[in-house]
Amino acid sequence: MRRRSDLHALAGAYAMDAVPEPDRAAFERHLASCEPCRQEVRGLREATAALAAATAVQPSAAFRQTALRAAGQTRQFPPATAAPPRRALRRQGRGRRGWRPRLGVALAGAVACVLAVAAVVAGISAYGMHSRLDQDQGHDHAVAMVLGAPDARMMSAPVATGGSATVVMSHRERALVFTAADLRGLPPSESYELWLMGPAGNRPAGMINVSGGGKMAGPMVVSGLSAGDSVGLTVEPAGGSPRPTTPPVVVIPLTG
Amino acid sequence: MTGGQRRPRSGRGGFSPGTDAGQGGSRQRPDELGALLVQVALGDPDAYAAVYERTAGQVLGIVLSVVRDPAQSEEVAQEVLLDVWRSASRFDPELGSAAAWVMTLAHRRAVDRVRSEQKAAEREQRVASAVIAYDEVTEAVEARLDRERVRRCLGSLTELQRESVTLAYYGGYTYRQVAELLGVAVGTVKTRMRDGLIRLRDCLGVDA
Repeated sequence: MRRRSDLHALAGAYAMDAVPEPDRAAFERHLASCEPCRQEVRGLREATAALAAATAVQPSAAFRQTALRAAGQTRQFPPATAAPPRRALRRQGRGRRGWRPRLGVALAGAVACVLAVAAVVAGISAYGMHSRLDQDQGHDHAVAMVLGAPDARMMSAPVATGGSATVVMSHRERALVFTAADLRGLPPSESYELWLMGPAGNRPAGMINVSGGGKMAGPMVVSGLSAGDSVGLTVEPAGGSPRPTTPPVVVIPLTG
Repeated sequence: MTGGQRRPRSGRGGFSPGTDAGQGGSRQRPDELGALLVQVALGDPDAYAAVYERTAGQVLGIVLSVVRDPAQSEEVAQEVLLDVWRSASRFDPELGSAAAWVMTLAHRRAVDRVRSEQKAAEREQRVASAVIAYDEVTEAVEARLDRERVRRCLGSLTELQRESVTLAYYGGYTYRQVAELLGVAVGTVKTRMRDGLIRLRDCLGVDA
């Protein structure tokens, strides 16, 4: 059994990545419950950063080109929401915070789908680093703002005619991101339309674009939410309709 | 790993002597790089290019110090820079400066690469302490000041503290290996590393 004083003493070695397994795992477990140790490691890492900076060299132009191009072809990890979504699975294991990139909380499939789609969209947008469509980047930004909001909450519901719909909403942003999966295919004369349904009536919120195999629809950003709104989906003529003409196939109340 | 020979800094193949790009000192206003990372997290390629300008030289530099082999070092440094792009959203300003975040990614990857190498014996060729050799090449004043500050602060450590820190950080050795190399007890090395870094931190005046 390792004594506490032994573990504290590892702070310097740890900050320099000089602690191999299994000692490192043991020290990190200790760190998780020792705020003074975490503070100390943080401070020591600022010192090691200076040590690193002192060795700076001048990379070649080819090196730079490789780095920038690689980023342009690589998807980014999505942000992890700070507040756990309402129906998401709890995060497994101890709450690790630290330098290592987290691969995300363990999420219900629907939320993972939303984030995956957002990440893919962000990745595709980043791929063309000189994106021609400012619209794409604005859209990705809007998606990221909602997904990354500290008060982001997820709600999902089955769609009556097949598939499921998921909403991640943020009161702070007064916006939501809508996605759906496995929606029943529609003939060319029809489309799914999204609505904000509130006490004052129904407002159109856009047409759903269903990708390729109908697997994923969205993500769509809907902003300007009002109190008492719900999100609804109906089947309408292909060009859309100013008012719902069919009963909604799914309604998700945006409560709270 | 091939070749433990150190080449003089100004003779490093492929790296033309630079003036400023990539050699920004550690004393960047922490807000700036952190703010850039926030933009990078939103997929902004220009912000990433700016982060590259400020960090790439340091990333490659510390990786070279630890990994030594130029080809492998470039590979590892590219991985680090890509990591910065991919995981920018994970940067948490509460946990320290953006510079520390990036250099931690770099140093960890460098150490991981070295530790996965089978031929540990060849690493003993390295003279880790020579890393901050005097550089005749013209460099940004700020970078030179940073180097000198580090050199001076390292100089304020006891010899054993300095050796422990240098072997661990620039050499990529574990604390047990350092103990073996210096012929001192493991507990002593731990203490020296910690005390040495604390003294360094205070001398440099970097925030905790």
